[in-house]
Amino acid sequence: MSHGRDGQGTGTGADASAPDAFERDVLALMPALRRYSRSLARSDPDGEDLLQDCVEKVLARRAQWRGVNLRAWAFTIMTNLHRNRHRRQAQHPEVEFEDALGLSAEEENADPLERQRLERALDRLSADKRAVLMLVVIEGYRYQDVADMMAIPIGTVMSRLSRARRQLAEAMKDDNVIALRRPK
Amino acid sequence: MTDEFDSVSEDELHAYVDGHLSQPERGRIEAWLERHPARAEEVREWQAQAQTLKQHFASYARSDEGDRALISARRPTAGSASSASLLRRIAAGLLIFAAGALAGAYAPRFIAPDAPSQSERLNESLPRQAQSAFLIYASEVRHPIEVGADQQAHLATWLGKRLDYALTIPDLSPLGFSLVGGRLLPVNGKAGAMLMYEDGTGQRLTVLLGRNPDNRETSFRIASEGGIETFYWIDGEIGYAVTGEVPHELLQKVASECYRQFEGSSPS
Repeated sequence: MSHGRDGQGTGTGADASAPDAFERDVLALMPALRRYSRSLARSDPDGEDLLQDCVEKVLARRAQWRGVNLRAWAFTIMTNLHRNRHRRQAQHPEVEFEDALGLSAEEENADPLERQRLERALDRLSADKRAVLMLVVIEGYRYQDVADMMAIPIGTVMSRLSRARRQLAEAMKDDNVIALRRPK
Repeated sequence: MTDEFDSVSEDELHAYVDGHLSQPERGRIEAWLERHPARAEEVREWQAQAQTLKQHFASYARSDEGDRALISARRPTAGSASSASLLRRIAAGLLIFAAGALAGAYAPRFIAPDAPSQSERLNESLPRQAQSAFLIYASEVRHPIEVGADQQAHLATWLGKRLDYALTIPDLSPLGFSLVGGRLLPVNGKAGAMLMYEDGTGQRLTVLLGRNPDNRETSFRIASEGGIETFYWIDGEIGYAVTGEVPHELLQKVASECYRQFEGSSPS
């Protein structure tokens, strides 16, 4: 699935009143949405769950879509769902055991321990920092786009990006010595 | 962006890593990095990190065979039922009995018997636990419950306190079921509540309530095993499961009625 750097959605010219066109556009976005949801989530089931909630919201709110850049709009909805969940999870922070070990079986080329280490380090980022990092690094959005999508100043995007990168690097280093030192 | 010709800002380093700079700008930053090995090391670390992240999540950018169903399942219902289907439902309900229409009209969510199963993994334990509880307690003749219907107010307070939730005990008498009582039992490893109902023939239903770790909402879902059906849904902090060995339509009405009456409850 191809999507441009600035994510001009496939639905630009679609007539919002034609239900099938909108649904087709959403369908075409599913791979991009799936990757983004997984990059925010703690595990595969958690990612699919976030994806489903997002699709549900996108379809329920289709009347509110202004007709441009469906991808960015759907990503914004996803980002907000992720932030809300994370806010609630902070009050009930338990993670189910099987979820905590959400390793994808398809990544036979990657060392599963390395993958798990990365997941653990990502889980230590705040919801907002994680979203900024993923939107910039994986989804290729420009800083101003991220600022618009998250309704924050561009300076905040930059400081979150900077802290996310450093924190992730630190967490990966910490995790190397996890047997000797309990992470705070 | 630069204070003087020979300085590079933190923002520029990020823009360099993220490939947002023009070729001359890149050249200037690369020259600067050569003279600042510590920052160069950090930039290399960020580049490697970005590469790792992209690879790590790349395989998820795929379609799934359930995607089409996921989208079309949401089509007719998002929000409230259309007036046409509402009329149809009321008409159908009148033919059967008034309570049926009521349940239909109040059910704000669609029933998704064959929704894609990916999301079910996370909450599949709720119907499973509900069915075990039903199997164990509904067949128990002497002590199916801990507190009986004769102490309904006490039951609501007691279970509500353990669940940390202002529990309303649904009145299912319009559907022919009266409260037998309730008990405390573990759901997802935490205190949960089970309510038991019985009709005139001794046919039993259970309603299970448990705290839901990842607070959110779902539509009605159905799980069935060995003739025992469970309608379940999650509404914020609480997961609900209605279980019985009764006709599908009846169980659905019970679930709709419970949903409607629980809506009056609020997290305490």
